[in-house]
Amino acid sequence: MTIGTAVLVVALLVGLYMAWTIGANDVANAMGTSVGSGALTLTAAIVLAGILEFAGAVLLGSSVTRTISKGIVETSRFEPTGALGADGPLILAIGMLSALLAAAVWLHVATHYRLPVSTTHSIVGAVAGVGIASFGFGGVDWGTMGQIAMSWLVSPFLGGLLAFLSFLGIRRFILHSTDPVAATRRTSPYIVGVVVAVIVLSFIYKVLQSRMEAPPLVLSLAAASAAGVVAAVFTTALVRNTAPHPGASSYDYVERIFALLQIATACFVAFAHGANDVANAVGPLSAVVTLAQDGFTTVAAEVAVPFWVLVLGGGGIVVGLATYGYRVIATIGSAITEVTPTRGFSAEFGAATTVLIASSLGLPISTTHTLVGGVIGVGVAQGIGALNLRVVRNIVGSWIATVPVAAAIAMLLLWLGRAVLL
Amino acid sequence: MRAILELFGKSPFRPLAEHAERVRDAVVLIRPLFEAFVDGDWARTEEVYERISKLEHKADLIKNDIRDHLPRSLFLPVDRGDVLLFLRQQDRIADAAEDLGVLLTMRPTATPPELREDVLALVDAVLRCADTWFETVHELPDLQESGFAGPIVERVMDRIRAISDLEWEADKLQASLSREIFRHEAELGAVSVIFWANILRVVGVVANKAESTADHLRLMLAKR
Repeated sequence: MTIGTAVLVVALLVGLYMAWTIGANDVANAMGTSVGSGALTLTAAIVLAGILEFAGAVLLGSSVTRTISKGIVETSRFEPTGALGADGPLILAIGMLSALLAAAVWLHVATHYRLPVSTTHSIVGAVAGVGIASFGFGGVDWGTMGQIAMSWLVSPFLGGLLAFLSFLGIRRFILHSTDPVAATRRTSPYIVGVVVAVIVLSFIYKVLQSRMEAPPLVLSLAAASAAGVVAAVFTTALVRNTAPHPGASSYDYVERIFALLQIATACFVAFAHGANDVANAVGPLSAVVTLAQDGFTTVAAEVAVPFWVLVLGGGGIVVGLATYGYRVIATIGSAITEVTPTRGFSAEFGAATTVLIASSLGLPISTTHTLVGGVIGVGVAQGIGALNLRVVRNIVGSWIATVPVAAAIAMLLLWLGRAVLL
Repeated sequence: MRAILELFGKSPFRPLAEHAERVRDAVVLIRPLFEAFVDGDWARTEEVYERISKLEHKADLIKNDIRDHLPRSLFLPVDRGDVLLFLRQQDRIADAAEDLGVLLTMRPTATPPELREDVLALVDAVLRCADTWFETVHELPDLQESGFAGPIVERVMDRIRAISDLEWEADKLQASLSREIFRHEAELGAVSVIFWANILRVVGVVANKAESTADHLRLMLAKR
C-alpha cells in the first residue's frame, strides 16, 4: 500500500468521524429549543433530525464544484511547481486530513463538555493552521479570516435582535391581547406565511446557490412571497379546526399552536443544516479524494464532490446524532425546561432569518452562534423566566478558543504526518 | 443539546406559587385551630397546631429550595432582591400561623362567650384577606408568560388593592375586639386579658403579612 492510498483510507475514516461529531454537536441547533419546550420528545427529535439532516446532506450538500478550504488557504501554492516541490499535493492531502482530524477532535471534546461550538469555525481554524504550518503566516488569507471574525459578532447579535423583535411581536399581538385564543387564530397565518417565505428564500440563497446560479432577487422574492401566501391560507383553514382545551388557560392554547410552529421551523433548520454543514466534513475529504484520483501529482483548482462521499457524510451525521443522542437521553432525564414554545419559536425564527440575511450578504455564518444569540435575545425581551449567564460565559469562552485550538491541533498533526510519512 | 437547554435556568415563579400553596395549607388551619380554642378543647387545639407546624416546615423547605436556585449568574425578568423579599414576606404568613398555634397551646385560656362570635369573625376577616392573596399568587406563572406586562398586570393590581382594603377591615375588627377584651378584665383576670391581646395581635399579623407580600408583588410589577 502506497503512502497515498494510506492517506486516502485514513482520510475516509477521519471524514466519517468528523461527520459523526458534526451530528453529535449540532443536532441541538435545530432541535434544542423544541425538545426543551416539550414540543418534541427527544426520541422524536432525533428521528426527525436524522431523516432531515441525511436528506439535506445527500440531496443538496455541495454536490457541485466547491473551492476547497473556502478561500482561507491558497491551494495552488501546493502545486509541484510551488515552494514545496513534488511533494506539494501529498502534503496538501495530509494537511486536509490533519484539518479534518483536528476539527473532529475539538468538536468531540467540546461536545463532551457540553459546549456548543461552531463546526464551521472548527474546520476554518484547522485549515488555517494547515496554511500557517505549510507557508508561515503568509499562508493564510487574513482578509477572509477577518470576515469570519466579523461574523462571530454579527451572527449572534443579529440572531438576538431578530429573536427579540419577534418575541416582542408575539407578546404585543398575542400574549397581551384581551383574547389570546382569538389573537392566535388571527395572527398565526401571518406568522406561518412569514416563516415559510423566510424558509423558501433561505432555501434559494443558502442551499440552491451552491447548486446553480442564484436566481434574480425579484424572482426569488416573488417565489418566497407566493409560498408564504399559500402557507398562510392553509394555516387559516387549519387553526379554524383547533380549539382550546376546556378549563385550560388561554395561554395553554397559544403555546400548543406555537409548538407546531416550532416543530416546522426545527425541521427546516435540520434540513438546511444537513445541506450546509455536511460540507465541513465533505469539503476537505473531497479534496483528498480528488488529489488521490490525480495520483497526488497536481492540485485541481476546484473539487467535485462525489455522491458516495455525500452519502458517507450524511450517514456519519445521522450515526453521530443517533449514538450521542441516545447517550443524552440516558443522562438528561426529563428534557422539559422553562422554555415554552413561544420563546423557543422566537429564538429559532431569529436564528433562521439571520442565516438567510447573512448568507445573501456572503457572510460565513454559524447556526450555533446564532441560535445562542437568539435565546439571549428572547431573555433580554424579558420572555425567559431565568437565563443562566454562567452558561453563556462558558459558551462564549469556547467560541473564542475554537479557531486557535483547532489550528494548533491541525498544525501538530500536519507536522507529525509530514515527519512520519515523508 | 444540554448546553442549549442549560441556558434556560430554573425560574423561581412556579416554585413561588407552590410555596404559596404550602403556606395556604397552613393558614387554612387557623379556623379549626380557633374553633377548638374557643370551645375550650385543648387537646384538639394541640392536634391542629401540630399539623400547622408540619405544613409550615414544608413551606420552609420550598423557600430554601428557591433561595438555593437563585444565584447571581441568573438573569431574571424582575429584580432578584424583589423576588427574595417577596418570598420572605410570604413565608412570614406561615410563620404567623405557626406562632398562633404556639400561643393557643401555651396556656389554656377561656373565651368570654359573648365574644366567641366576634373572635371567629375576626379570624374569618383575616382569612379572607389571606385567601385573596393566595388567589393572586396563582397568576404568577401567567404573569411570567406574558412578560410581566399587559392586561394581566391591571387585573393583578386590582386584586392587590382589594387585599389592602381587606387588611384594613381586619385591622379595624382587631382594634375593636382588643378594646372589648379589656372590658372583661375583672372576669378573666389580668394575665388572660394580656394573653388575649397578644393572640389578637398575632391574628392581625397574618393579614399584615399577606398585605406586605402583595405590596412586594406590586413593587415587582411597578418597576417594569
